[in-house]
Amino acid sequence: MPEIRPILLVEDSPRDLELTLTALEKCQLANEIIVARDGAEAVDYLFGSGVHAGRADGDPSVVLLDLKLPKIDGLEVLERVKKDERLRHIPIVMLTSSREEQDLVRSYELGVNAFVVKPVEFNEFFKAIQDLGVFWALLNEPPPGGRGHGSV
Amino acid sequence: MKPSSSDLDVCAQEPIHIPAAIQPHGALLVLDPTDFRVIQASLNAVDFFGADTRVGGPLPDMLAAKADDLKAWHASNVALFQVPISEGALHLRAHRSGAGIIVEVETVPPGPEQDLFLRLRGLVEALSAARDIGGAMTVAADMVHALTGFDRVLVYRFDGEWNGQVVAEAGNGRLPSYLDLRFPASDIPAQARALYVSNRVRIISDVNYDAVPIEPSHDPDSGAPLDLGFAQLRSISPVHREYMRNMGTSASMSVSIMVDGRFWGLVACHSAEPHSVPVPIRDACDFIVQSLAMRIAAQTHGEDAQSRVALGRISARLLAAMTSGQSWLDGLVSVPEDLLAQVDASGAAIVAEDRYLCVGETPPEADVRSIVGWLSSRGEQDIVSTHALATQFPAAEPLAATASGIVAIRISELYPSWLIWFRPEVVSTVQWAGNPHKSVREVGRIHPRHSFNAWREQVHLQALPWTEAQLSAARDLRNAIVGIVLRNAEELAHVSSELQRSNKELEAFSYSVSHDLRAPFRHIVGFAQLLRERENSLDPKSMHYLQNISESALSAGKLVDDLLAFSQLGRTAVAQKKVDMNKLVAEVVRSVMFSAEDREIEWSIADLPVAWGDATLLRQVWFNLVENAVKYTRPRHPAKITVEGRTGDEMTIYSVTDNGVGFDMAYAGKLFGVFQRLQRAEDFEGTGIGLALVRRIVDRHNGSITANGEVDKGSTFTFVLPTSEKKGRALA
Repeated sequence: MPEIRPILLVEDSPRDLELTLTALEKCQLANEIIVARDGAEAVDYLFGSGVHAGRADGDPSVVLLDLKLPKIDGLEVLERVKKDERLRHIPIVMLTSSREEQDLVRSYELGVNAFVVKPVEFNEFFKAIQDLGVFWALLNEPPPGGRGHGSV
Repeated sequence: MKPSSSDLDVCAQEPIHIPAAIQPHGALLVLDPTDFRVIQASLNAVDFFGADTRVGGPLPDMLAAKADDLKAWHASNVALFQVPISEGALHLRAHRSGAGIIVEVETVPPGPEQDLFLRLRGLVEALSAARDIGGAMTVAADMVHALTGFDRVLVYRFDGEWNGQVVAEAGNGRLPSYLDLRFPASDIPAQARALYVSNRVRIISDVNYDAVPIEPSHDPDSGAPLDLGFAQLRSISPVHREYMRNMGTSASMSVSIMVDGRFWGLVACHSAEPHSVPVPIRDACDFIVQSLAMRIAAQTHGEDAQSRVALGRISARLLAAMTSGQSWLDGLVSVPEDLLAQVDASGAAIVAEDRYLCVGETPPEADVRSIVGWLSSRGEQDIVSTHALATQFPAAEPLAATASGIVAIRISELYPSWLIWFRPEVVSTVQWAGNPHKSVREVGRIHPRHSFNAWREQVHLQALPWTEAQLSAARDLRNAIVGIVLRNAEELAHVSSELQRSNKELEAFSYSVSHDLRAPFRHIVGFAQLLRERENSLDPKSMHYLQNISESALSAGKLVDDLLAFSQLGRTAVAQKKVDMNKLVAEVVRSVMFSAEDREIEWSIADLPVAWGDATLLRQVWFNLVENAVKYTRPRHPAKITVEGRTGDEMTIYSVTDNGVGFDMAYAGKLFGVFQRLQRAEDFEGTGIGLALVRRIVDRHNGSITANGEVDKGSTFTFVLPTSEKKGRALA
C-alpha cells in the first residue's frame, strides 16, 4: 500500500473550488487536498519554490488543474511540469469549462493524463470528480523511483 | 513563304541583271572611265553612235562634245548623267556599273514639251484634290494612261509579305480588267524587287524583240559579267517575256512607287500591241508616280495618326466599360464593337477561370478551349499572335473560316485565362470589284490567273496579318486588364484580411464565452443541488422553486453549448470521406431512444446510400432530425417515423418523415433560422438552434435541405448531399 499523498487542486473560481471540494469530500478520500488559487502558486508548490519553498517532501498523487488561471495559465503549468524530468510522472487532469478543441489538442500534445469538461449537471460533475479522485489518488501507481517515494 | 509554282522558283534564281544583251530600241556602250575607251558595246552601237564606234576604240566622235561633261559627272557623286544629243534627236543616259561607265542612247521622237508641263501641273492639282489614296491612285493611273497611251495602267500594291494586289486601274478596255486581282510574292521575285528599287522605270516596247548582244559579254580585263541593273535597255528575262505573252500583252512599262524609302508598289502599264514611250514621257510618268508616292506617304501618316486617335478612343471606352461593369469581363463584352475594333478582328472570346464569353464570329467553345490549351502549352508568353494559326497548331485547320488568325493575350498568371481575337481566312474576305476571270483568254504555264490561284494557295488558311499598331493595342488592353484584375485582387485581399480579423475576434469571443458563460450555470445547478440535499425539510413549493432554478440554469447551459457548437462549425474544416449512413442512423436512433424509452414509436428505416462528408457532423444532422421527429410526435400513439434515402444525379438524398404536430408551411422559411421556434416552449422544449445547425452542416457539405409540413399531420425533412464527383452545390 503506497503512502497516501495529497491531491493538488488548482482552481481560481471560489464557487468551482467549493463545488469541487464538496465533491471530493463526498468521495471520502483519505488524501490531503492542497489548494492553489493560481498557476504561479501551483508552480511554486510543485517545484518547491516561492511561497512553498522548503515545503514538506512528497509530490501530489494527482493535480486537478483548471485551464483558465490567473498569472500562469493551466496549459503553461502543464507544460512546465511535463518538461521537468523529476515532475513529469505526476498525473495531471485538466478540468475545464470549455469544449474548445484547440485546448484539448494542445493539452494532449503537452502530455496531459486526462481532460475533463466540467458538466453543468451537478450529479455528472460530482461523478466525474469522484471518478478522478478514486482513479488517480487511489488506484494509480506512481512509477518506481519517483521523488517522494520513500526517499526520506 | 514558298512560291507554289516551280516555274516561278526557277525565275527567282535567274540572274536577271546580267543578261549581256539589250532591247533593240537603243544602243549601249561601256566606257573605261580613265580614257573613255570603249570596252564593250551592243552589236547595234554603230547604228546609234556612228560608224567610228568600235570595241577597244576611243570615244565615238558623236560623244566628243560631251566628254568634258561626262568627266565632270564621273568625278562627282551624282548617280545619273542625262543629256539630249544630236540636237535632241537622241537621249543619252550614263551611269556607273562595276569599273566602267554604261552609256545608253535612245531616239526621241519630236513632241510638244510645253504641253507635257501643262498636263503635269494639272496632275499635281488633281492629286491634291483627290479625297483619299484610292482617288489619288485613280488620278495617277488615268494620267499615266493618258500620257503614255498604254491600253491598261494598274496600280499594284504590296502587302507585308510582298504579295500584290491591283488597287486602281485605268484603261481603254482593250485588255481585261485586273482590278482587285492578287498575286503571290513569287510573281516579282526578290532580285527583281531589288532592281525595281534602284531603277524605278522599266520599259519593254515589244515583247517579241530580238535581243541585241553586248560584245564582249564580259569585261575583257576583269572577266566580270556586265551588271545592267541600272540600264534602261537591259534585256529582260525569258520567263518575264513568257509571262507577258501569256497575259496577252506585247509592251509594258512599270514605275516603282517608293513611299518613305519603302517599295510600296508599282504602276504597271500594258499594251496588247508593241508600244514605245520616249524618255521624256517616261520621266514625266516617274514624276507622276513619285507625286502619288508623296501623297500616299502624307495620307498614310495622317491615317496612322487618325487611327491611333481612334484606337485611343476605343481603348478609353473599353477601359470605362471594364471598370463600370459587374466585372471587367462583362464590361468588355458589353461593348462588342469596340472590343473587336481594338484589333480589327471579326470575333473575340474570353476564357477565364469559370467564365466563357464570346462576341462576333468565333469557333465553337470546345475549339476555343482547345486553342487555349495550345496557347497555355507554349509557356510564359503573355501575347501570342499569328495570321496562320493552322501552320503552328494544325488542329485549328478546320477552324480556318473563323480562326485563321488570332491574337491572344494572357489575362491571369494563375489560371489559363485568355482573351483571344479571331480573324477569318483571307481568301473569304477578298472583295471583288468585277469578275476578273471573265473574258480573260490565257494560255501557257504562267499567267495572272494562275498567279491568283497561286496566291490563293499561298494564303490558304491565313488571315490578314496583324499590324504593329493592332498588336500594340492588344498589349495595351492586356496591361489595362491586368491592372484591373490586380486592383480587384487587392480589394479582395483587403476584404479578406478584414474578414479574417473579425473572424479572429469572433473566435476569441466564443472562446471566452465557452469558458466563462458555462461556469455560472454550473454553479447555480451545483449549489441548488447542494441546498436540496442539505435541507430535508423543504416544503413542496420551495422544492418546486429549487427545481425551477436548476432547470433554468441547465437549459441556459444547453443553450450555450448549442450556440458554441453552431459557431464552431463555421471554423472547423469539413472532412470528406465515405460515410455509412445506415450505421449513423442506427446509432442515433439508439441514442435518442435512450432518453425516450417510454415512447411507442413505429420506426421504418430504409437502406441508405453511402454519403460523402464528415461523419461527426453528419451524425449531428441525423441526431437533430431524429430527435425532432421523436420530440414532435410526442402526442401520437403510436408515433410513426420513416427514414429514407436514395441516389440521384451526382448526389444522395435523405429524408426523415414523422406523423407529429407538423408546422404551417407559411413559416417554413423561418424553420432553419437561429433562435426560430415554431412551438411554444412549454409544449416542446428546445433552444431554436438545432435546425439552424443542421442547415449549416448541410451547407458546409455543399448540400441543401428543405422541409415540408402540415399542421397536425406531420413533417418531412429532406437533405441532399453532393457525391465526390459533383462540382458545385447539390440542390434539393
